[in-house]
Amino acid sequence: MKLAYYPGCVSASTGKEMDASTRAVCAALSIELEELDDWNCCGATHVSNELVATGLSARNMAMTDLPIMTACSICYSNLRSAAERLREAETLDKVNALLDKKYSGATIRHALDVILEALAEKDERIVLPLRDLKVAPYYGCLLTRPRGVDSPEFPTLIEKLIRRLSAQPVDFPFKTLCCGGPIFMPRQEAAEEIAFKILSEAKRAGAEVIVTVCPLCHLMLDAKQKAIEQRRGEQIGIPVLYVTQLAGIALGLGPEELGLFMNSVSPLPLVEKAYERMTETE
Amino acid sequence: MTAIMDEFKAEVSRLAGEEFLTCIQCGTCSASCPTASLMDPSIRGLIKLCLEGKREQALHNETLWLCTSCLLCTVRCPRGIRPKAVVSALKEIAERGEAAKSLPADAAYERLFLKQIGDYGRIAELSLTGEFLLAYPQGMVQSMQVGLELFPRGKIGLEIDRIEGRDEVKRLIEELR
Repeated sequence: MKLAYYPGCVSASTGKEMDASTRAVCAALSIELEELDDWNCCGATHVSNELVATGLSARNMAMTDLPIMTACSICYSNLRSAAERLREAETLDKVNALLDKKYSGATIRHALDVILEALAEKDERIVLPLRDLKVAPYYGCLLTRPRGVDSPEFPTLIEKLIRRLSAQPVDFPFKTLCCGGPIFMPRQEAAEEIAFKILSEAKRAGAEVIVTVCPLCHLMLDAKQKAIEQRRGEQIGIPVLYVTQLAGIALGLGPEELGLFMNSVSPLPLVEKAYERMTETE
Repeated sequence: MTAIMDEFKAEVSRLAGEEFLTCIQCGTCSASCPTASLMDPSIRGLIKLCLEGKREQALHNETLWLCTSCLLCTVRCPRGIRPKAVVSALKEIAERGEAAKSLPADAAYERLFLKQIGDYGRIAELSLTGEFLLAYPQGMVQSMQVGLELFPRGKIGLEIDRIEGRDEVKRLIEELR
């Protein structure tokens, strides 16, 4: 299978491990990725003019005839929203009048659903089944919004992937609560308040690790975890992995390839534990 | 007076979709909002202000900047209204308006964000944060903390990626706005 790949701006900074693990896992699953040529920022959650945001995504989508895959839920939601708006003739005309290469429709996919589709039940490429690992599936907001992908209220896609890797999803009521990330820059306290709720709830649910599908969720829960602990005076210490990193571990890929050294709360003890569990059962 | 009120409502409905005029004030949006407890007016209240044509109150409040764009209101609205799009429309009107300079720091962040896209085609987080902190030094402690966390892990991009199609991107921003 061959897909166009839209890495998004964070692939060069805070989301480097998301990008690395996405490429590594796709290679391991024989999914060929062709990076979009000269892609631009989708506007994230900071471009209030919808027509501008639509135009920015249209330029990206017009560059290829292949289905476009991204691992970032914000990019994903923006591309999908734009594709929806571009079905209106008036919007399409306005945008196409300005584009060098014209937009004529696109299929948008998230790395999560691509990986899930590529992995069979009891796939023999899963060399390290994550038996007994308790995982909190954290969706955040934008993977399933706008409507059209799984349920925006009770999604189950991440649980499916967790089970396919032989790990155990924990019941996690806050799995679709927004992480607060989009407003963390000017509104630190408000954003941290929400992130703290998610972290402590995952811990209460017995999770050993949280998985995310969005680099902003990841930043809030992983990179900011220590700061949140300090401010709340409460120890949390829970690793947060991208779904691509979790899948990569089960596929036996190395920590370097998956960017596991880039996570703030180290996931390496978990990987060791997974190996121990595997040898015990053998 | 009525003319101004209608003009404002028309502008919101042009940007966010005319379905917002059919709001029944049920409050599902407010009940779904992750930052509702911090908002005044609520999202429902904000839409009411728009429907009543109360331009100034609708444009100058903290609520606009507390929206995280999570879209839960949008997937739940029984009238098919997109409350987040109404928030975005109000931000856009406020940012374009003559009172833009008096808007909170959040507006400066959005302005710098869009300027970066226009200049480079992509976001370089380091320079965006740097420029924002010049305008809003209160964010310094938090940013240093995040920076110290990311830098040793190589997760701060030091270079600015400039794309080839910068002119095209700039044109999109300028002409579509």
